[in-house]
Amino acid sequence: MSQILRFHLNGNPAEVMAGEAETLLDTLREGLGLTSPKCGCNRGDCGACTVILNGNAVKSCTVLALTVEGKSVWTVDGLVDGERAGEPEGGESPAPRSLSGHKLHPVQTAFHEYGAPQCGYCTPGMVMAAVAFLDRNPSPTEEEVKDALSGNLCRCGGYKKYVQAVMAAARGEFDPLPERSGRNV
Amino acid sequence: MREYEYHAPLSLERLFELAEAEGMEVRFLAGGTDLMPRISAERNQIPRDRKPPMRIIYLGGLGLDEVTDDGESVTIGATASLSALLDNGAVRTKLPALHEALREMAGVSVRNTATIGGNIMNASPAADSVPPLLVLGAECLLRSAAGERRVALSEFFTGPGKTVARPGELLVSVTVKPGRGGSAFRKLGRRKAETLSVVNAAACVELRDGLCESVRIAVGSAAPVVVRCTGAEQALVGKKIDENSVREAGALVVKALSPIDDIRSSAWYRARVAPTMVARALLAAAERKRG
Repeated sequence: MSQILRFHLNGNPAEVMAGEAETLLDTLREGLGLTSPKCGCNRGDCGACTVILNGNAVKSCTVLALTVEGKSVWTVDGLVDGERAGEPEGGESPAPRSLSGHKLHPVQTAFHEYGAPQCGYCTPGMVMAAVAFLDRNPSPTEEEVKDALSGNLCRCGGYKKYVQAVMAAARGEFDPLPERSGRNV
Repeated sequence: MREYEYHAPLSLERLFELAEAEGMEVRFLAGGTDLMPRISAERNQIPRDRKPPMRIIYLGGLGLDEVTDDGESVTIGATASLSALLDNGAVRTKLPALHEALREMAGVSVRNTATIGGNIMNASPAADSVPPLLVLGAECLLRSAAGERRVALSEFFTGPGKTVARPGELLVSVTVKPGRGGSAFRKLGRRKAETLSVVNAAACVELRDGLCESVRIAVGSAAPVVVRCTGAEQALVGKKIDENSVREAGALVVKALSPIDDIRSSAWYRARVAPTMVARALLAAAERKRG
């Protein structure tokens, strides 16, 4: 059996059929085709499925999909700048873009520039944990960043660069951090 | 495959109607960090036995997440998230042992959904919120269609995963009277974050003229339920809380425990490390009282 689930996904209204015992992760991936949240452990340990729910980073495999009725969910897919960034300027290393040619969030740029992702499987979760954290605390200490990412496992062991990259994004080493842009709704 | 039903009642009356379901397993859902992985694991297996349908009743629409402080006691709504409690002024200043435990529970993204009521009702012997609540003298408020009753947390757990709550009975809130004691919590996990306790310990100490007037000690993850260590408590009364006295008391702690081997640790190690965790919690609690 399923029920209709209505919520806000990346700032837009979304409507989907969700099973009564289905996780938010399954609804996002199977029902809505958004495969950026990854399924690592499916038991709340690894953080690969982290999304932002009403402004807070949560593990979407521990959230029953139907409980997000009326709430707001953000995934990596919602982070890109609304406008297309245009053709990459030439030069040695043009600013990284999303596959669709959009400008990236400073956290994504920092991950790219610092070479933080290795296999990349934990990366969408890391991005969302970092963005939710910086939305709340835009000038953190390194210890605070480690704490914010402590729920995200990286089997490649790339923790150090992730932490360095989040610090760099917070310092504004790339683009300045955008306003919280309604993710806290 | 097993059938599931989902309901999100907006009133307790409706909730108690739904909780009466013949031939169904009724489960209350708060944050979901314990229940959802269990359901997902069940759904990913070929069922061996035919299980009755599960009725999932979501508690998020009932407004049971408030924290109230009337000066003498702090009442925490069952569905208050661990993150909300970490940010709560009353919890931080009046219930330091609980605050320390919350800080070491899982990681941010689990704390954002997990609730205090869930941690209690899941009734894990390793639940980190329970030793602090126990030494702080917590009392649970249970409600059902038949009425409400209060149960001391020390009487609440009957075994791993088991409590005195009857089917259809809902944990509404937990009330703590902090008193004038200093309290502290110490956890030993296999890693710093996002881990279950190998052993955890909480202590609450009241001092008079620098001597221990009364003390409560609780140890988790070392018996079928979180236990009070009354032998060690009695040994400390009337003494100064220092390195020597807490070491002596620590040795008595083991008598209250019945640890087992499991994936996190061995019984042997738990019995040896529990006195140390108790000693650390005691010293920190006494220090907090002096400061």
